[in-house]
Amino acid sequence: MDEPTLIRHAANGDASAWEPLVLAHQQAVFRLAYLLLGDPDDAEDIAQETFLRAWNHLKRFDQTRPLRPWLLSITANLSRNRRRSAGRYLAALTRAFRDEPAPASVEEKSAQYMEANDLWKAVQNLSEPDQQVVYLRYFMDLSVAETADVLQVAEGTVKSRLSRALEKLRAIITKYRINNQLEV
Amino acid sequence: MSELERELFEKQLLTIAKGLDYPRTPDIAAAVMTRLRPSTRPRFISRRLAWSLTIILIFFSSLMLIPPARAAIIEFIQIGIVRIFPRPIEPPIDTISTATPQSIIPMTATASFPSATLIPSLSRIAGETTFADAQQKVNYSILLPTYPPDLGQPDYVFVQNAEGEMTILVWLDPRQPDQVLMSLHFIPLGSWAIDKAEPKVIEETNVNGQRAIWATGPYPLRLYNGDLDFTRLIDGHVLIWAEGDITYRLETNLSLEEALKIAESLQPVP
Repeated sequence: MDEPTLIRHAANGDASAWEPLVLAHQQAVFRLAYLLLGDPDDAEDIAQETFLRAWNHLKRFDQTRPLRPWLLSITANLSRNRRRSAGRYLAALTRAFRDEPAPASVEEKSAQYMEANDLWKAVQNLSEPDQQVVYLRYFMDLSVAETADVLQVAEGTVKSRLSRALEKLRAIITKYRINNQLEV
Repeated sequence: MSELERELFEKQLLTIAKGLDYPRTPDIAAAVMTRLRPSTRPRFISRRLAWSLTIILIFFSSLMLIPPARAAIIEFIQIGIVRIFPRPIEPPIDTISTATPQSIIPMTATASFPSATLIPSLSRIAGETTFADAQQKVNYSILLPTYPPDLGQPDYVFVQNAEGEMTILVWLDPRQPDQVLMSLHFIPLGSWAIDKAEPKVIEETNVNGQRAIWATGPYPLRLYNGDLDFTRLIDGHVLIWAEGDITYRLETNLSLEEALKIAESLQPVP
């Protein structure tokens, strides 16, 4: 069954039609939550909550639209609420830095991994809206149109936010490069 | 940054970002399906939990034998996250004694409607935003009434974080622009619990086939979570109903018949 048919069945209360849709999108949803929260346990909670909320509101979902941007939009909103609650984000960031691999294991990681990890840390210095747009466009590899759909803003807004975020990101990376050899 | 530099930088970012080593994606589907079908799996109840439940059951059963306690336990009505106590309940000592209605009215958009000073009150409410911005902030559809046909967009929109983004839409009376015609709250699951104590009139009705309550003030309204607790005095009439994860609260001086028409006319914004 194709996605629109599965969505239609699920919207009519058929839970068995929802399962393949969850399977198809769970990785993207989990990864976006992980990028935004920095903690795999929190990301798993948010991913589950995303699919449960989507299930509860499927009747109101415009079935002519693709499902993924809508799911990612719910994920982004839930993650934002989670970040704001009781310093969880700070705790997760602290954990992320505390759990940074020791130099010996760093050598085992590929150069690309190290660069990506440094880039992620650099993005975490951006404001929340800038982070969202960067994660969606570059980490989740969504098009500008898809990113606009997730953020429910015009494509022009995505472009201007990206442009602003890139300027800031380049400044941060330039600063990082002095100490961390980030090759960007 | 020139256009060329920007394109190059973007390409590098795309390449680098793809190299991020994410944690393994857990089996979200299995967890979600379990939560959607809780009855299909046998539930394990520990001996300790079973004993706790038994003790709680016995405790409440014994309370049922005492008439005043029975009244207090049974006689509240729950709609979504809102509980309505038709009989007097013991007021929370610290809220009634420390929070006067005047001091807490600015906390929400639903100040006493007949007040002539309502507009200054509205301007002091936290979280004012635009409708479009509010829809971006919350993860549920903010529905708008299509009745009355000439109602239009709300005059004020607020989004307040109450352990969940609560949306409040406020329409002013076009004939008396210093007065509120109605306010509509969207309260998501997990928000602060709300108790309404001793409304003057309570009437059961339904909105789109869902159980609903029509309550007439004045009565104290208590909002609380684990950390905060405050009480305010409501003068207007309130229609409360729930659909999915959202509890709706329509506060107005219009009649019940008109309130029901408004409630049943809610539609997503195209």
